Amino acid sequence: MTDFDWQPLLLTFRLATTTTLLLLLVGIPLAGWLAFTRFRFKPVVEAVISLPLVLPPSVLGFYFLLAFNPTGFLGKKLLSWFDLRLLFTFEGLVVASIFYSLPFMVHPVQAGLENLPASLREASYTLGKSRRETFFRVLLPNIKPSLLTGLVLSFAHTIGEFGLVLMIGGNLPGQTRVASVAIYDEVELLHYGAANAYALLLLVISFGILLTVYAINKRWVIF
Amino acid sequence: MGDILMPMLQLQARMNLLFASGPALLDVDFKLTTGSLTGLCGPSGSGKTTLLRILAGLTMPESGLIRVGDRIWLDTAERIQLPVQQRKVGMVFQDAALFPNMTVRQNVEFAAENRRDSLVDELLSLVNLVHLADRKPATLSGGQRQRVALIRALARRPDVLLLDEPFSALDYETRQQLLHELVRLHRQFGTTTVLVSHHQDEIHRVADCILELNQGKVTAIGSPAVAGKKSAVPLRGTIQEVQVEETTTRLRIRLTDNLIALNVPSGVQEWHIGQAIVVSLDTQTLTRKAD
Repeated sequence: MTDFDWQPLLLTFRLATTTTLLLLLVGIPLAGWLAFTRFRFKPVVEAVISLPLVLPPSVLGFYFLLAFNPTGFLGKKLLSWFDLRLLFTFEGLVVASIFYSLPFMVHPVQAGLENLPASLREASYTLGKSRRETFFRVLLPNIKPSLLTGLVLSFAHTIGEFGLVLMIGGNLPGQTRVASVAIYDEVELLHYGAANAYALLLLVISFGILLTVYAINKRWVIF
Repeated sequence: MGDILMPMLQLQARMNLLFASGPALLDVDFKLTTGSLTGLCGPSGSGKTTLLRILAGLTMPESGLIRVGDRIWLDTAERIQLPVQQRKVGMVFQDAALFPNMTVRQNVEFAAENRRDSLVDELLSLVNLVHLADRKPATLSGGQRQRVALIRALARRPDVLLLDEPFSALDYETRQQLLHELVRLHRQFGTTTVLVSHHQDEIHRVADCILELNQGKVTAIGSPAVAGKKSAVPLRGTIQEVQVEETTTRLRIRLTDNLIALNVPSGVQEWHIGQAIVVSLDTQTLTRKAD
């Protein structure tokens, strides 16, 4: 237990919180667009968003590694324009996590919106409300369970990241050494006590979050 | 001259429709008097709902013209297309489409121009819903929900009120009550109203104009009497064929030199081939076929 440190756990939750909040901003408008668009190439967009569900994290990690490399095209631009390094930094982990957890936010929200009766949207339009007002005042408040599911799945999925973090984040304490990486390290060093402490805490906290969500969702009867 | 003195709702529309029964062309051209309560009827798949949606701006016809009073809502020739939000319509949907996250009062306030609009309270009391104002739609009965939907549509102060079979899922008693309230509200507000219903008798009773649609075409328009509510002379005939189904019985009746088909409710009366019958002809509901 001597090697146990709170830092990886705190970093994990900082990463998960930041990612989830940013995913709210990115994922909800994207889900809203996907739910109602008649764009011809919508299946292409949907397939791209769903890629992290099927690809090994190392594949994503590999391409992020190439993209974020400061000598590569994107990495060079980010560095010269914004002084932003995404390789082996917390910011890089956040960006990668957003892509990695995007389907977990988009899918439930999109499904929730698609399952609402079209008449709700149309009624709001006939009452003179714009698309934006209808989205925020009528549609989103009526898919609270889907929003909560998206929120929690994104959070939980980010907590569970390992391969991707290892590929582009490495193992820098306080920067990129999240709990899942710390567990791996401790096991490598045969520090089973510390590994168990991280693992058990992650297990209990993740279970607690999911249990809370299912309990709340059961109570939210919309119709 | 009449057009200038009597502002009206004019609709011309052409549109290809695809129903379960196959493709059909909606091709209508009619005018309704301002302040009228028009009953829109016709068999399912005749284009009634599409017509309401075109009026509301929820469906775009291939070509068309909609004029409400002196305002043009749609003129495809001139490329004018007022978005649904800018057409002052109130629409009541079959499923009421109340917003589940809002209370009854909030639903009605949502439609009003501002929250302090006195019309909200007035409407709530007109349909006796003041005591339910703070309830969520999920806790209301079907009839109460449709009442809320009706006053919500009126709170928008619409130029045209469109009702798409709003009472069809309700029981007979509630339906009569709501029709009565609709007529009362119509008298009070004088909003040009189009009511879709498949209950012919009821629609003839409350409407002051009947618009009949069949396979996308207007087959009759005018006052209920003119649109064929009652025939002047009862006709004698003989039943040729009886086809009993669960809810309706299809009769083929020979009337002098014509064979007509007539649908009547099953289980009310027994019918048999060769039976003499007197038909009080409602010409609009009969399908006439050559002998």
